[in-house]
Amino acid sequence: MGLIDDAYTLFLREMLIFKKNIAMNAVRSTIFPLLFVLLLGSFGSAPKNVPVAVVNYASGPAALNFINMLQTGNGVSIVAETTQQQALGLLSEGSVAAVVVIPSGFSTTGTQSTVHVYLDNSQPQSAEVVSTQVNTAAAKLSAVAVQNPAVTVVTNYAYGASSNYISFVIGGILVMVASFGAVFSAGFTVISDRQLGNLKAFLTTPINQISVLISKIAYGTFQSVFSAYVGLVIGLLYGATIAAGIIGLIELLWIILLVGLGFGSLAIALATRAKEQQTYALIGQTIVMPMSFLGGAFVPVTLLPKFLLPVVEADPLTYAVNAVRDIMIKGSLPLPTLISTSVILLAFALAMSGVAYLLFKDTSKQI
Amino acid sequence: MAEEYAIYIDDLVKSFGSFTAVNGVNLKIKKGEIFGLLGPNGAGKSTIISILLGLLPPTSGKVVVNGIDVQKDPSGARTHIGVVTQETVVEPELTAEQNLMIFARLYHIPKAEMQKSIEFALELSDLVQFRKAYAGTFSGGMKRRLETAKSLMHAPEIILLDEPTTGLDVQNRTQIWNLLRDINKKQNVTILMTTQYLEEADQLCDRIGIIDHGKMIALGTPDELRKSIGLNSVIEVTVDKEELQRAAAAFRKAGLEPTILNNRVTSPGGSNATKKIEGLLNIMSTSKINVRNISMHEPTIDDVFLKLTGSEVRDTSGEYKGKGVIMGRGR
Repeated sequence: MGLIDDAYTLFLREMLIFKKNIAMNAVRSTIFPLLFVLLLGSFGSAPKNVPVAVVNYASGPAALNFINMLQTGNGVSIVAETTQQQALGLLSEGSVAAVVVIPSGFSTTGTQSTVHVYLDNSQPQSAEVVSTQVNTAAAKLSAVAVQNPAVTVVTNYAYGASSNYISFVIGGILVMVASFGAVFSAGFTVISDRQLGNLKAFLTTPINQISVLISKIAYGTFQSVFSAYVGLVIGLLYGATIAAGIIGLIELLWIILLVGLGFGSLAIALATRAKEQQTYALIGQTIVMPMSFLGGAFVPVTLLPKFLLPVVEADPLTYAVNAVRDIMIKGSLPLPTLISTSVILLAFALAMSGVAYLLFKDTSKQI
Repeated sequence: MAEEYAIYIDDLVKSFGSFTAVNGVNLKIKKGEIFGLLGPNGAGKSTIISILLGLLPPTSGKVVVNGIDVQKDPSGARTHIGVVTQETVVEPELTAEQNLMIFARLYHIPKAEMQKSIEFALELSDLVQFRKAYAGTFSGGMKRRLETAKSLMHAPEIILLDEPTTGLDVQNRTQIWNLLRDINKKQNVTILMTTQYLEEADQLCDRIGIIDHGKMIALGTPDELRKSIGLNSVIEVTVDKEELQRAAAAFRKAGLEPTILNNRVTSPGGSNATKKIEGLLNIMSTSKINVRNISMHEPTIDDVFLKLTGSEVRDTSGEYKGKGVIMGRGR
């Protein structure tokens, strides 16, 4: 009859209550992602100054004309590269959103020429901007084909061709509902258990109080996974895809579990200090909402003002969101990313559970 | 020698910073005894109970429960204790049976006996036919019975009752008390209770301890306590608040020693109590004091308590501090 047995008993209790309220819980877990998919699914903000690498193998005025037309407006900002290889390197690093390759025969007047575009479609809004810009430039040039070549654009997607903005948004929503799920389940039960006297009642039994802590964190984590998978189902029904396939589901589970552990612990730490559910809800929202936004759940972090970047880098959700997008859009989570993301999320979970332990230890000592 | 007692407390001190909540308390409660611990709010009762349960470490002193040193093995000590608290603690979103099952596991009742304990508790609380019903649908009395049975399902040798009948109607209170007395007699279970209902303590407890400012100021059977304060009768007059001072003056004129409490003036009757009451009535009628009620009675534990602590055991508001508003459970 150890700590884990007792924690299991208390977790079982949470599960029985969960089972009783499952319909309500499922509805609640559905509304949020559904709303976001409907609101954001067809509404991507157009980014500005999207970095594009241009490799110009041609010489002569037509190619320069084309580049000038590309630069019209402030949609893209051009980086000149000398070789296609270098440019594609930048693309896979993520430092440019697209590569435009102008072939050597481009300048010959009146001939048919092909421009190759390589698009990072894991950032769908940026990809959209580049695509429009390139096609517009090509159309303008073709219209005056007497001096210029007629241009055909061939677009190559860097990642699975089927990815879309829904996959992008759902990736962020999964991480957001996972963190919200943990904070608004585990924390609330700690407060209601304290108000109803359950915490005291547990402590009068032979169990160690740490088992209460463990069971609450476990419950928060469970709710994270539940909410995230409900959100995932909605996303898939709405047209999102998981490029990584079945193994992606397992990788997703791992990332969500780590998010749940961290935010479940954060929830307990907050709930030991907030005496009322209203106060708790306010504090919880104030912390988790900005963390989700700054983590890039809805807009790419490259669109955020520069002074926020240190905050973005310190936000564990940034890494979780990136990992989830790798899985859903790029089709694979590179091992170094998996390891670094796991380490960051685990460190966050450990730190938070440490704080929760210290705060929980001296709570409800008096009968 | 500590092993002979159900509860053995030796020179217990508990300080919180500069505040000493418990200041050198000695208490030996025999097995099978019903003991009442009385004291005003903040006297140290709850602190003593928390220390008995091993939830708070004592600053100094020794606490032994059923032969187990609480500091060395708090979890072991708790297996012998059942606690019935002020609040009715049942989980409204679990059935009666599930409520009991969870606590059977937390009490570490062996798997083989678990079902038997649950059945025992269902019968004890008279809820056998409601076993599959959610506790949230129960009446206050049913919840209280479930809570009490839940606290007793592991057959503890010692029961701690912290204000056990607060907020219960008379019928439910009697029911709970009959249950506890029954267990006490049949199974020789020791009961330590704190209560605000002094008349209840008077009727039920074998012995009573009165605690104030962390010190045990009186200890004995209810009879011994009544005799110890040297009262053979108490005179009590109820008047309007504005007339309290004048009534007290009238008491003094009649040769009595008045104490003012809420809207009452009381005094020990002493010898010739009947003569004094006559004199008092005369004085009050000439001073035109509007007497709402006057009585003379045998001293009760209330009077003992008042004399020793100078206060009433219950809050003047008549109810213990309310709990915060409980909202939806958020699951």
